[in-house]
Amino acid sequence: MKEQTPVTRAEHTSVTPTDDKPTDEPAAAHVRLDAPSSTLRPVDGAPDGVIELRDLEVFYGDFRAVKDVTMGFGSKEITALIGPSGCGKSTVLRCLNRMNDLVPGARVQGRVAYHGVDIYEPEVDVIEVRRRIGMVFQKPNPFPKSIFDNVAYGPRVTGMKTDNMDEVVERALRGAALWDEVKDKLKQNAFGLSGGQQQRLCIARAIATSPEVILMDEPCSALDPIATAKIEDLMVELAATYTIIIVTHNMQQAARVSQRTGFFTAEADDMGHRTGRLVEFATTEHIFGNPTDSRTEAYITGRFG
Amino acid sequence: MTTATLTLDHGLRKGRRGTLGPSVFAFVLWACLALICAFLFFLLAVIVQKGIARFDLDLVTNQPSKIRPETAGVASALYGTLWVSALTAFIALPLGIAAAVYLEEYAQQNHWWNRMIELNIQNLAAVPTVIYGILVLAFVVRAPLSIGAVVLAGGIALALLILPVVIITTREALRAVPEEIRSGSLALGATLWQTTWRQVLPAAVPGIATGSILALSRAIGEAAPLILVGATTFVTFNPDGVLSRYTTLPVQIFNLVPQDRQEFRDLAYAAILLLILVLLAMNALAIWLRNRYQRRW
Ligand SMILES: Nc1ncnc2c1ncn2[C@@H]1O[C@H](COP(=O)(O)OP(=O)(O)OP(=O)(O)O)[C@@H](O)[C@H]1O
Ligand SMILES: [Mg+2]
Repeated sequence: MKEQTPVTRAEHTSVTPTDDKPTDEPAAAHVRLDAPSSTLRPVDGAPDGVIELRDLEVFYGDFRAVKDVTMGFGSKEITALIGPSGCGKSTVLRCLNRMNDLVPGARVQGRVAYHGVDIYEPEVDVIEVRRRIGMVFQKPNPFPKSIFDNVAYGPRVTGMKTDNMDEVVERALRGAALWDEVKDKLKQNAFGLSGGQQQRLCIARAIATSPEVILMDEPCSALDPIATAKIEDLMVELAATYTIIIVTHNMQQAARVSQRTGFFTAEADDMGHRTGRLVEFATTEHIFGNPTDSRTEAYITGRFG
Repeated sequence: MTTATLTLDHGLRKGRRGTLGPSVFAFVLWACLALICAFLFFLLAVIVQKGIARFDLDLVTNQPSKIRPETAGVASALYGTLWVSALTAFIALPLGIAAAVYLEEYAQQNHWWNRMIELNIQNLAAVPTVIYGILVLAFVVRAPLSIGAVVLAGGIALALLILPVVIITTREALRAVPEEIRSGSLALGATLWQTTWRQVLPAAVPGIATGSILALSRAIGEAAPLILVGATTFVTFNPDGVLSRYTTLPVQIFNLVPQDRQEFRDLAYAAILLLILVLLAMNALAIWLRNRYQRRW
């Protein structure tokens, strides 16, 4: 194992995540916050960062997709990654459980530390990383199997020791607020579920292996508003147990569910290469209430109108 | 403001684009199809008409005979075909599917040697079938392996022949499995092997089975390479193992047709009918499999 590096940034005061709507009374909300000294540094490192990124840089072949990403993800918090299309949010998210390994030519530089261990070290077991850091995709992607087998798949392949698979499946489905809807048809094919149910099944599937972190890449973008609201409620509930990192294009969603928000953007350099970077990372109230960077403000207000 | 109304003369009237071109084109397409169907139907009709007389139980139970063609059968050739095709499947399917899985799931597509292998497989599928016969004759039937003109040699020749087809169709079946299935499995902490074995292969089985059956039915109808590896011998016993002498239906037909007595030719037509029925049954199975298990993702 690697040496433990301190995950937290210097003296940052405890910032209690609040559930106020950030757009309400912004002024009162962030007098307490430390003002960021540099837009490239996190405003305040996550209290006890589960995952820490330091100078992360990702290449696809010769193309540098993102650079200079330094941020931390707090335990049992929801962190939202927002920004315009193509700025590298998914790229950063995929680095966190090494799903970028699957992209031919993808290369990661910098440090991705999970509890202080750089997950890109050669000795690290990528299987174990992915078991602990689960993922939910943009498009619901259940396996062409029964609902039960979908949820049981993770525990089975990772050789999780379970006395009773029925119990594991039930717990995961309850955790994903799906149990009542499917308890009578566990043997039916998962493709028979609605899109929203399929997405909650994918969440159940992800939590069945008892991960610590759940990554979600635009998990609601294929869903209608009611299914979206259900997933949002679920996320808030899950945050009691799991650390959640979500990419979203829906800013109200980021504002509603997350405690911390990172804003990314991609700007062309002199050579015309567009490289994504983290512009501002702070509490959600700060980002949505009184962003430090003008680009963040332009993006937020542009969308809120 | 009044709502504007349209009349047909605002360009909506049909016929402006002309109707002759499309209908001529449709007629030509239809005529091509009709010609092909007529030709096939004619072939089938002739075979049925000439073969039906000897299409009896003797055909499948009796052995070939040089002196009594009116009651002779093709039993040894039928069993030879079954033996050789079973052996072909036994050799070609595991090898072909494994190769396809490697190329599709494991190989780094951007390495030049993998692209080279791919190109060669495409080319192998286009190699004339006799070449495979010559290859097996030279290296397997004769020295260094010297196993002689036996079932195993025929199976090897046909397996080599259909291997590229099995690889190509299996790769297509694997490619049809959506990428999300793979990433979903890997993101749960499954290994590449678990993902392939538990998700990708089961999802691809219908496609693989369909392709394999079609490849096998092609092998069954093949005579040229088997003639080279020595299936031409006059055999009056059913094969009893992979090292037995043998003949197969296409080779038997090839031997019967040039005989000068009419009874031999009638027997040949009956054997052709039998072979066609076997092939139709296999193709029907392939189509049924495809429709039954086809998945919409
Ligand atoms: N597999 C890949 N191969 C090559 N380039 C890629 C790949 N995936 C992403 N990119 C490039 O990397 C950059 C960042 O892409 P990414 O998908 O991370 O953006 P994003 O912020 O998630 O966008 P969106 O909001 O549209 O999902 C883009 O310029 C994109 O073209
Ligand atoms: Mg994305």
